[in-house]
Amino acid sequence: MTEKLNRFLQVPMGTETIYIEDAYRHRLANEELGKLFTSWGYLPVETPVFDFFDIYQEFIPVEKDIYRLIDREGDLLMLRSDITLFLAKQMGLSLKETDLPVRVCYSGTILRHQNREDISKNEFFQTGVELIGKKGHNADLEILMLLSSTFRTLEIKPALHIGSRELLNASVPDIGNSGKREIERLISYRDFDELGRRLRGITDSKRADTIKELFQFTGSAEELRNYTESIKPALNPKEISAIDKLLLIMEDLAKLNLGGDFVLDLSEVGNQPYYTGIVFQGYLDGVDSAVVSGGRYDNLLGEFGFTTPSVGFSLLLRKIENQLGKKFSLPAFDKAEGENFIDSLQKAEKLRKKGRIVIL
Amino acid sequence: MISDTAEPLSLALPKGRLMEDVGKFFKQKGLDFSFDNRKLVSYDKSGNLKIFLVKNSDLPTYVNHGIAGLGICGSDVLYESGYKFFNLMTFDFGGTSMCIAGMKGAKRTANERKLSVATKFTKFTSDYFHKQGIPVEIVKLNGSVELAPVLGLTPYIVDLVETGNTLKANNLEILEKLEDIKVHLVVNPAYYKLHYKSIKRIVSILKAKT
Repeated sequence: MTEKLNRFLQVPMGTETIYIEDAYRHRLANEELGKLFTSWGYLPVETPVFDFFDIYQEFIPVEKDIYRLIDREGDLLMLRSDITLFLAKQMGLSLKETDLPVRVCYSGTILRHQNREDISKNEFFQTGVELIGKKGHNADLEILMLLSSTFRTLEIKPALHIGSRELLNASVPDIGNSGKREIERLISYRDFDELGRRLRGITDSKRADTIKELFQFTGSAEELRNYTESIKPALNPKEISAIDKLLLIMEDLAKLNLGGDFVLDLSEVGNQPYYTGIVFQGYLDGVDSAVVSGGRYDNLLGEFGFTTPSVGFSLLLRKIENQLGKKFSLPAFDKAEGENFIDSLQKAEKLRKKGRIVIL
Repeated sequence: MISDTAEPLSLALPKGRLMEDVGKFFKQKGLDFSFDNRKLVSYDKSGNLKIFLVKNSDLPTYVNHGIAGLGICGSDVLYESGYKFFNLMTFDFGGTSMCIAGMKGAKRTANERKLSVATKFTKFTSDYFHKQGIPVEIVKLNGSVELAPVLGLTPYIVDLVETGNTLKANNLEILEKLEDIKVHLVVNPAYYKLHYKSIKRIVSILKAKT
């Protein structure tokens, strides 16, 4: 029996068990977000739990983190590790030009390897939205406003950092995919000394210093405007255009009184090669890594057969649930006390009609 | 916005050989701190830092979980942990070298099929030799690694070498220096994003010439 009990106590890595209060909070948060997304016209889509591995291989940052299996025909499959990717393929297959723009939302379990010793990751559940088929400023703004509303609904206030993949593409000359990934990694890990060394290998030292300085910027719109004004002669037109787009977004967010929710952070360049425009991540005190990531990816759907622009975000819900506001806590139960069981049943019904939770 | 509140920043320091150097360095910069008898938590004089003392090899774990936002740690321990942090600065003190050593006069020969090594640094050792295409057999030890060649457990060890005195005393010598090990100030990436203003201030104090 001890052996059997020991087996019961173990769970495979990358899975978890949610107990009652946690499960209640999780479900409620998910429902509230579902309602919010629907009220913005974002309708639910479901994606398969597994699919062919080779289709997604080039988009998977760490292959070792993926659970893979072989089907009866001998094809290599993968369990869903990122809903955005699975969704891109589905949308690529089913969308037609006349459907656009399309607003979709999703929520579901994802499976990624997680070290047994590393309990902080909590990357088990993904909830998100995508606005497909709409380019430009207004679409970006819509997604950022929805992001803001998402956290207001959850009653938490993360620091939201916005950057631009477009800026990275404008700054770094074409050096092939692996070279670019390395530059992207150095910027997002803020390893600017190494970045400077690498850049000097591909461009002149003055230009290398400009790029190295530029991507260190973190601050307000006002500060970015002053900073770029001071280095303008050193910037190329595409860089200036990417920065102007960011500033325009911040200007509109300020008009909507949402300016305080966002920080401009040029070291945010997107953790996926498919990003093309704005990119953002959200961070919470006491949580080890970003709780939400998103941005514009105009080329991703094209990889799956239907070229159309897209912008969206995805939230790792389990990471933030212990910080959710009061309304997500399990409410107190009432107990219906009647003279006999029938009486108790009737009393309970009356109380339930008033919105109370009643047990017998 | 919850970022950059007046709360002190949290910093984990490793117990042991580095502490004295870190203490001196921080004092020079006006960030003096001391620990009361057996206490493991303290504040610096300015109240900007809340400092924890943790075991060297546990330090990356505390920073990874965001319990301590900042940490000071050698690149050996950071590499071994496998966690990725932002590196804010590299210190001049506390540097050492990761070396492969064996009995005096021992030479690695070209027809050695695989390398047998005893070490505390198993991830570094396997990654280092695998990158060079050399198969390596590793015996994990937690201390007194020098004993392994002396007692015949493995012909070689991979370990940190500072003065080389322990090696000499045991009739061992360095075969090759594998990497320079430096001491870094690191930060949990999410913690940086939330507290970047205060962190930049502390880093500029630490980097200022005194």
